[in-house]
Amino acid sequence: MLKVLIKKQLAEVFKSYFFDAKKNKMRSKAAIAGWFVFFAVVMVGFLGGLFSFLAFSICGSFVAAGMGWMYFLMLGGIAIVLGAFGSVFNTYSGLYLAKDNDLMLSLPIPVRYIMASRLINVYLMGTLYSATVFIPTPIVYWIVAGITASRVVCGIIMFLAISIIVMILSCLLGWVVAKVSLKLKNKSFISVIIALVFFGAYYFLYFKANGFIRELIMNAETYAERIKGAAYALFLFGRMGEGAWIPTLITFAAALAVFALVWYLMSRSFISIATDAGKTEKVKYVEKTARQKSVFGAFLGKEFGRFTKSPSYMLNCGLGVLLLPAGGVLMLIKGAQVCETIEKVFETKPGSAAAFVCAVLCMVAAMNDMAAPSVSLEGKSIWIPQSLPINPGTALRAKAALQIILTGIPMFFAAVCTALVVNASVAVKLLICVLSLSYVLFSAFCETAINLKMPVMSWTSEIAPIKQSGAVMLSLFGGWAVSLALCGIYLLVGYKLGAALYLSIWTVLFLVGSLVVLRWLDKTGSRIFANL
Amino acid sequence: MLKIEHLTKTYGDKKAVDDLSLHIQAGEIFGFIGHNGAGKSTTLKSAVGILKFDAGTISVCGKSIVNDPVACKREMAYIPDNPDLYDFMSGIKYLNFVADIFGISADERKEKIQKYADVFELTDDLGQPISAYSHGMKQKLAVISAWLHSPKLIVMDEPFVGLDPKASHLLKEMMREHCDMGGAIFFSTHVLEVAEKLCDKVAIIKQGKLVKEGTMDEVKGDDSLEEVFLELEAE
Repeated sequence: MLKVLIKKQLAEVFKSYFFDAKKNKMRSKAAIAGWFVFFAVVMVGFLGGLFSFLAFSICGSFVAAGMGWMYFLMLGGIAIVLGAFGSVFNTYSGLYLAKDNDLMLSLPIPVRYIMASRLINVYLMGTLYSATVFIPTPIVYWIVAGITASRVVCGIIMFLAISIIVMILSCLLGWVVAKVSLKLKNKSFISVIIALVFFGAYYFLYFKANGFIRELIMNAETYAERIKGAAYALFLFGRMGEGAWIPTLITFAAALAVFALVWYLMSRSFISIATDAGKTEKVKYVEKTARQKSVFGAFLGKEFGRFTKSPSYMLNCGLGVLLLPAGGVLMLIKGAQVCETIEKVFETKPGSAAAFVCAVLCMVAAMNDMAAPSVSLEGKSIWIPQSLPINPGTALRAKAALQIILTGIPMFFAAVCTALVVNASVAVKLLICVLSLSYVLFSAFCETAINLKMPVMSWTSEIAPIKQSGAVMLSLFGGWAVSLALCGIYLLVGYKLGAALYLSIWTVLFLVGSLVVLRWLDKTGSRIFANL
Repeated sequence: MLKIEHLTKTYGDKKAVDDLSLHIQAGEIFGFIGHNGAGKSTTLKSAVGILKFDAGTISVCGKSIVNDPVACKREMAYIPDNPDLYDFMSGIKYLNFVADIFGISADERKEKIQKYADVFELTDDLGQPISAYSHGMKQKLAVISAWLHSPKLIVMDEPFVGLDPKASHLLKEMMREHCDMGGAIFFSTHVLEVAEKLCDKVAIIKQGKLVKEGTMDEVKGDDSLEEVFLELEAE
């Protein structure tokens, strides 16, 4: 039975890899392989590459000082934080808010089986992210310190222990969020605030990490002694990677024991949380005359409603709304110094700072990808826009408009702040603003189009289209790739044109691209939407 | 009002609807009967323009659903078998959303919402999120939204499922009243007693093909509709 449930759960998560919803048939083997290769390239190539570089840069010092355990402790910690990052709402939505919970609970299936099948998804996602850190970590260690059987076996056990710890953290945080959500009214915003506090702490740690790592390496012996004295468990954790059998067995057993305890606690409360509608006081309907809206206005209002009522949607697809203004303020404070440094580093390529800040603005804006799952989120209610007397293009434009508004306004603020501090001509300052806004248009239309080509219409948890869909992944990484191209091409050849001409070309490209994609949405996209 | 001619729809190798022709006139309540998987929902979805079909023509008030879908949809309303509405909206927001699409003035919508919500005893719940509604409440909301813009043609897929006896009775009255005022209703049902009492005309579909169609008397003669249906099914 458990096997069947897990199969069903995995089929849902990886459905888009195997099944072409547009053609209503299984993908070819080549297409399936292509999707997995793409996923692997993104995960292993991008994140894995980043952490391999980090591992190589610090491993030698720790090994030379005879403190390999400290190296494992540090990178193991990063793997745990990365794995647990963002999985709070994955657990909450996947476990407690799944639309088929009632169906599952009505069947003669033990609760532990339902939980296990749901959590396998959380486990896989957490492990996947941890793996980008913890696959290169022991490999680099084996290259630097030498490979032995005990190091390999203990390294693998350490990886398993890390995946269990990530799972424990995800479960606990998901359980806390579920409990809090049941207690509080106006759940969406409260949930978002809780998550933002979590993200804030994460980013604080992330930005402090470099300094912390440097400090740790400089005073490794002092810290090592302190950890051994005050937090012996952490020492044991790190010793696993060095191939020490007893610490490996103790730590792994401890992780399993804690997980068993968490599992016990969760299984006791699963039914009550999953079936509890929460403290919703009845909203008294007060009759009033509603303001008449245009068709586009009605659809735009609908899109705003969907966005603001879903914490998962806001957190996974709307972080740029906060990060852009925060970035703008940061630029006002530190921007001049940063730009000066960039110009110094690339002094043979004048105007680099302008290209660099534009790329950063676009990269942060790419974190707003609310248009990317917007078609999929119609789900089973797709019959509503399809049966109403509207041009489907209007519904699609409203989806793009949500992103344009929610990204355009903070982007404008951030771009103006940035333009103020960049040491450049008025034309370049203006172009920084215009280019950034044209990117917002381009990305919003493109992401709507991407989702039309890669829709996920049948889902039981909205996490599937919001977090696990190919459209969202392609939009996010695609946006980053465009940003890197903007900066990279400038440093390679673009500087020869000068910043003003170079940024003008990109602006025109974004604007022309926007018009082309918008036309596609109105014609072909509308046809696709009408037949989803 | 609704003219379906030689409609054919295939899913893979299976013909869901095979050369089906039906004419629904103004003033008619037209019942569509068939076993599960006979092709009823496929026909209804094709008629309202949310499903592409392979062959045939469908016109609403003389306009083609393929060539002029927006004009056709303006004349009709559709209620699916499972009313998956926008869960994130409240009932009143959903009704206002539909009213905006049809350009219903603020005063007119206020009056109609009040009238129909009172009829279905849903007024007090209009401020609640749809996610908190029961299946029956969602069905009532879908019915109100369908009647909101006074469509000429109303297409309904199993409209009585989930409704309590009082709401079912009210819906039947509203259907009759709508047709008496010159509108038309095309609906599918498995409740043969309802179809027998309510419908002016009925069509029976089996494995995608029309097996019988006509006025209630023409179809059932001296037998009950249930007997005729079971007889046709057995053939």
